[in-house]
Amino acid sequence: MTPPERRLPGELAFVLFLLLFGATALWQATSISGLGSWSSPGAVPMLAALVMLVSAARVALATLRRPPAEVPSGSSLSREFAHALLPRVVVAFTLLIVLYMFALEPLGFVVSSLLFLVAGMWVLGSRRIVYNVVVSAASLAAIYVIFQTAFSVVLPAGVLRGLL
Amino acid sequence: MPEAVSYFFMSWTSPYLLFLTAAGTFAGIYVGAIPGLSVTMAVSILISFTFKWNVNEALALIAGIYLGGVYGGSRTAILLNIPGAPAAIATALDGYPLAKRGEAGSAIGLTTVVSVLGAFIGIFALAVGAPVLSNLALLFAPRDYLLLAIWGILLVGSLSGKSLAKGVFAGALGVLIGMIGLDPMTAEGRFTYGSVQLTSGVPYVAAMIGFFGVSEVLAQLHFLHVTPVKQDVRRIVPPWGLLKKHLPLAGRCSAIGTVIGALPGAGGDIAALMAYDHARRTTKHPSRPFGEGAYEGLVAPESANNSAVPGAYIPMLTLGIPGDAVTAVIIGALYIHGLKPGPMLMIETPHLFWFCVGNLVLANLFLLPLGLSGIRIFAKIVETPKAILLPLILVLSAVGTYAIENNPVHVYWMLAFGVTGYFLKMYGFQVGPVILGIILGPLIDVSYRRAMISAADEPLAFLAEFFTSPISAILVAALAITVLSQTRLWAATVGRLRRAPAT
Repeated sequence: MTPPERRLPGELAFVLFLLLFGATALWQATSISGLGSWSSPGAVPMLAALVMLVSAARVALATLRRPPAEVPSGSSLSREFAHALLPRVVVAFTLLIVLYMFALEPLGFVVSSLLFLVAGMWVLGSRRIVYNVVVSAASLAAIYVIFQTAFSVVLPAGVLRGLL
Repeated sequence: MPEAVSYFFMSWTSPYLLFLTAAGTFAGIYVGAIPGLSVTMAVSILISFTFKWNVNEALALIAGIYLGGVYGGSRTAILLNIPGAPAAIATALDGYPLAKRGEAGSAIGLTTVVSVLGAFIGIFALAVGAPVLSNLALLFAPRDYLLLAIWGILLVGSLSGKSLAKGVFAGALGVLIGMIGLDPMTAEGRFTYGSVQLTSGVPYVAAMIGFFGVSEVLAQLHFLHVTPVKQDVRRIVPPWGLLKKHLPLAGRCSAIGTVIGALPGAGGDIAALMAYDHARRTTKHPSRPFGEGAYEGLVAPESANNSAVPGAYIPMLTLGIPGDAVTAVIIGALYIHGLKPGPMLMIETPHLFWFCVGNLVLANLFLLPLGLSGIRIFAKIVETPKAILLPLILVLSAVGTYAIENNPVHVYWMLAFGVTGYFLKMYGFQVGPVILGIILGPLIDVSYRRAMISAADEPLAFLAEFFTSPISAILVAALAITVLSQTRLWAATVGRLRRAPAT
């Protein structure tokens, strides 16, 4: 028999969080309409939350039985977690998405998307800047034309209002 | 009947619909082939763009993408040993060894032909079976819908992941998310916390794009540096002898695929794995040992996964229950277009059914020439570096989410769901059951409460009805088998039976 797989860094914490989440959901669901009736608006939310709680408990038990995550000497669990689950590129790209979301309305679709694409490609390791800009601009033009004409989606114009 | 015929040929005679179907099939092949771009992702992004169209146009495009996409995954599976889509995982097992022997061309050719064949068998089953099932569906009581919906979530949760508990958790989470907003029966707020935004519920297109699009993009960031291998492809059209030899197997696997596709929740990926298993057990003299480039190992999953596409349409059009993740998204689209998928769909809008059937046939006809050509350009596109591809997918996701209501808040939802989905994925949870739960949650809620009210709020009377009605009893049995088959006891018993000498 193969030995059980080691836990991933942060896996136990995540599963315990899910357990807590299930319990909170159950508590919140009981406050919808109480326990008075079997067909109340809160019945299915309570059942769903109960199922979440029970299955999360099973997952937690199974996770506890597995050997803990490997932490090489000189490292720590949080560092291993960052390495395996949140490598720098994931964090950077996610932050970029957040910036892009907030820029979407004020800057408009074209400008914010162009900035996001060029920066995103660079963050993901494509270091040919001119190439990135050309590819971004060309695909944005295609997206813009297709969406405005074929799909009649109104995209925020932002700073280019009046120009497009 | 003449009306049915005219609706069947509607997309064949309208140049615009013809074009959309062809464009969809073409785009689907590439979407399916590019690793990291899944059909579910593409369909969920597209739904938000097409909701202003009329429903036939949207369905024509989606049918093409769906059929083309399920097929397209096989190309990268064969050429690069990277299944472009989950439905092509089994294809890579023998497809890639074939490519290493320099037979990629005939492998792709054979794959194309059996895929088209499989889809035709599935469409035939849809055309014949759906009207029958639809009449039967009128007899279904609310509790039967409750059972079907739970069975669907469980099937997808148990078959697609390693752990049943994780699948169940994901499904229940989806149901809970689906509950947010005003209760449809009493208009009481549930989990709304005084927010007006939340009374209309969680925007499910944002949830779909978040869970399938954004979380996949984030997960793909771990595989930025996988470089594709170049392949040489010349001869594509398969020789007739090779094809004829495998026709019976393709037929059997198409039947398997159609049935699996028609089961709620289970789609092409599971159909392909089961068909591969079937081929391995029933083929006595494969062209080569399985796993080393057996053509049988290619024919089986590829005929099955494409026949599962029309198969998945069967419960969608007759019961309003998705046959797999893509049809779950299509059901969402039908709601946006003001249609109510369910047993009344075929009675109130029979034209929609015949339109879908005719459209699938058309998309399948396009698949043959499109599948047999363009392999060379294809190789170039697949080699697009992920650093270029992933930011573009993200822009499409954001625009798609924004487009539904021109509401930037939906984009925040999308990212929140995307990050949640990323962590779930990394720790071995499936996101498919979450989406199925969101779509089916309201159905579960309403069906459960109607059944409970009709049993006068008596839990015992409610439970008794599950065993006294024949339809419910059959569904209970199916549900029980699904759960039991995941336990250790079951595996041990089956193992003992297999080992026992056949007498």
